[in-house]
Amino acid sequence: MTGHNGPSDSDGPEDPTGGGAGPNGVSNAAYGALGYLLAGLLFWGGVGLALDRWLGTNFLVLIGLLLGGAAAMYLIYVRYGKG
Amino acid sequence: MSLVTLAAGPGFEAPGPEDFKFPDIAGGVTKPMVLIVLSVVIVFGFYWLTGRRALVVPSRAQFAGESVYRFVRDGVARDAIGPEFARFVPYLTALFSFVLVNNIFGIIPVLQFPSMSRIGFPAALALMSWLTFNYVGIRRKGLGTYLKQVCIPPDVPTWILPILIPLEFFQTIITRPLTLGLRLFANMFAGHLLLLVFILGGDFMLLHGSAALPFLSPFAFVMGIGMTIFEALIEVLQAYIFVLLTALYIAGALAEEH
Repeated sequence: MTGHNGPSDSDGPEDPTGGGAGPNGVSNAAYGALGYLLAGLLFWGGVGLALDRWLGTNFLVLIGLLLGGAAAMYLIYVRYGKG
Repeated sequence: MSLVTLAAGPGFEAPGPEDFKFPDIAGGVTKPMVLIVLSVVIVFGFYWLTGRRALVVPSRAQFAGESVYRFVRDGVARDAIGPEFARFVPYLTALFSFVLVNNIFGIIPVLQFPSMSRIGFPAALALMSWLTFNYVGIRRKGLGTYLKQVCIPPDVPTWILPILIPLEFFQTIITRPLTLGLRLFANMFAGHLLLLVFILGGDFMLLHGSAALPFLSPFAFVMGIGMTIFEALIEVLQAYIFVLLTALYIAGALAEEH
């Protein structure tokens, strides 16, 4: 995936927003992951769709969905996967 | 589900969204509204009765009231939020009790309708939780820092940020309240529909079914009873998940950067 140059592990696993503080971190990650995937597909898919409408093309929505999905998975890794 | 509808054959009207619409009782007031008011009375009455003469050695009633409170305080607020949990306990406890009572209405005879299966109620609760965690975050850090923390994930290469920043913003500001409200709504809606299918299906088989159908109706009723028990579990679980996620969002808004 896109994040090949892995971020340097500077601090602990504490993540600022939506961080799994306490023993409920796992369930938070599960719901957070769903939220990210949804957000990624909706937002970048939506941008692709809007560009398609504007430019009269039909493939940008697919690119948007793929980009959004990939970005969401990367974010899930960054927010929950490390540490 | 399809078995019941198939077996019932023509004449059986499968339950649908129409079953969630109620006629006016008087002046635009419908059953779900009455249930909401009733739930407020019940929650208030419960805490008033169990807490009005609080003793160091609690009575049985006081113990019951404090158990719910303690569950939210220790099981949700302290676990999720950490040292600053105390000031959020009243809101979380009220929220939990309110959602729980309204959900349980789904399987109480006569009432038999989970108010949260009408989208407006969970939407309002999700909005309140959304306002709370954003307010807490902005109050703590200032708008700029809060937004920066919401939008910019730590330790990622800079070139990828243009893709991630709008996504993070969208996730926190839009999909969070959306999924919070929809999860509660959809669980209550689907659960109530499921009960309707089995019980109304069994009812139809028993009273209007031809040939062997009346003799098969006990299976539908047994499934209906089983589903009712299952529904009780879901109703408690969804109330818990709603407050837990609210607490986690507050925790996220309060957390310091690194």
